[in-house]
Amino acid sequence: MTAPTPVLSAQEWADAFAEANNTDPEIQAHGKHFTCSYLLDAGEHSFVIDVVSGKVVHVAVDPGPLEAPYQFAIRASAETWRGFGRPVPEPMFHGIWSASFRRDMRLEGDLLVLMQNLRCITRQIELLRTVGSPV
Amino acid sequence: MSRISPVTGHYVTFEVDGLEYKVFYLENGTGQPLVCQHTAGCHNHQWRGLLEDEEIASRYRIIAYDLPRHGKSDPPENTEWWKEEYRLTADHYCAFIVALCDALDLRDPIFMGCSFGGNVALQLALRHPDRFGGILAVEGADHSPGFYLDWWQHPHANAAQVCASGVWDLMAPQSPEADRWKTWFYYTQGSEAFKGDLYFYSVDHDLRGRLGEIDTDRCPLVMLTGEYDYLTTPADSARTAAAIGNCTFIEMKDIGHFPMSENYPLFRRYLLQALQAVERRKPVPV
Repeated sequence: MTAPTPVLSAQEWADAFAEANNTDPEIQAHGKHFTCSYLLDAGEHSFVIDVVSGKVVHVAVDPGPLEAPYQFAIRASAETWRGFGRPVPEPMFHGIWSASFRRDMRLEGDLLVLMQNLRCITRQIELLRTVGSPV
Repeated sequence: MSRISPVTGHYVTFEVDGLEYKVFYLENGTGQPLVCQHTAGCHNHQWRGLLEDEEIASRYRIIAYDLPRHGKSDPPENTEWWKEEYRLTADHYCAFIVALCDALDLRDPIFMGCSFGGNVALQLALRHPDRFGGILAVEGADHSPGFYLDWWQHPHANAAQVCASGVWDLMAPQSPEADRWKTWFYYTQGSEAFKGDLYFYSVDHDLRGRLGEIDTDRCPLVMLTGEYDYLTTPADSARTAAAIGNCTFIEMKDIGHFPMSENYPLFRRYLLQALQAVERRKPVPV
């Protein structure tokens, strides 16, 4: 069993996540058209992540009701996101598909945008294995 | 320094249900035929590690074919297939595999299939137990709903990437990155067949209530499932094996839904157990 990564404050996590994305070789090699905004809802905190051409240009931390529009949402309990935040996740905490089929994750909103950006989103969510859980 | 692989490729042409297929297969080794079915929307390179496994090739004739519409096996030669929606049925899939074994004049072959190949392995165990010397169902279960989705062919998304990244999470994070990416790469090549394959996987294949009809005295059956498989979980396969009776189930740790392709060195340990179970015609301790 691997130890959970240290929990950062919500703003620290957002900054670390943006930095990890913007320096990730895979996303920067394949993210020329990776442009979207999505809600990462982790219960205790929520984040609206804006990506333009492969760069995370803004993360709204715990936005108010009308402050941060987004195209699709990835929602799960804090417990599930903590599973994503381990260096080697346990089964079913290793991706948005597995957690949606077998845990409490929900994919909502304009799923076409998710599918259009699936390659880079998949990698982006895996960054949690090094950045740590958002909650 | 160059190196030529002992694996060779061939085409064989035959008819199934009035459809003429020119089927490509890779093979290596001598002994009892071991016929290998790749997963949905993919092709026979998933078996690349097994095909060059000297120990297994010394005892088995390993044959890994491309199902029609996959890899180097074209759609049917004698129909205007582009005017119809492709939806694979259990009847046609089973008929194809038996016809392939007949066309190659295989005696007492062991069939091994993964995912939609694992599900058809169960269909073969039910329908044709006397045609096979053993059956290995990898990542199979009685029923596997939920993956017959329009996203695989949506014209507003990059189907190649949707299929490849859509199955990425079926693999274990422990599997070597290079092998996971090879598997991803294969999946970028099969999007036009993937959804039609999944019609069989998630819709037409349903053996709930019929597992007790599978006679493992006539054909030994082994099931193997990886713990990171979210479509067919180890619990799904264990439930299926228990309902069949005298069916060995092997849960595979630290591996996912494409075990032979994502981490062959780990998979081969379980495969050797499974082949031993078939040879002995009795369950092995897990």
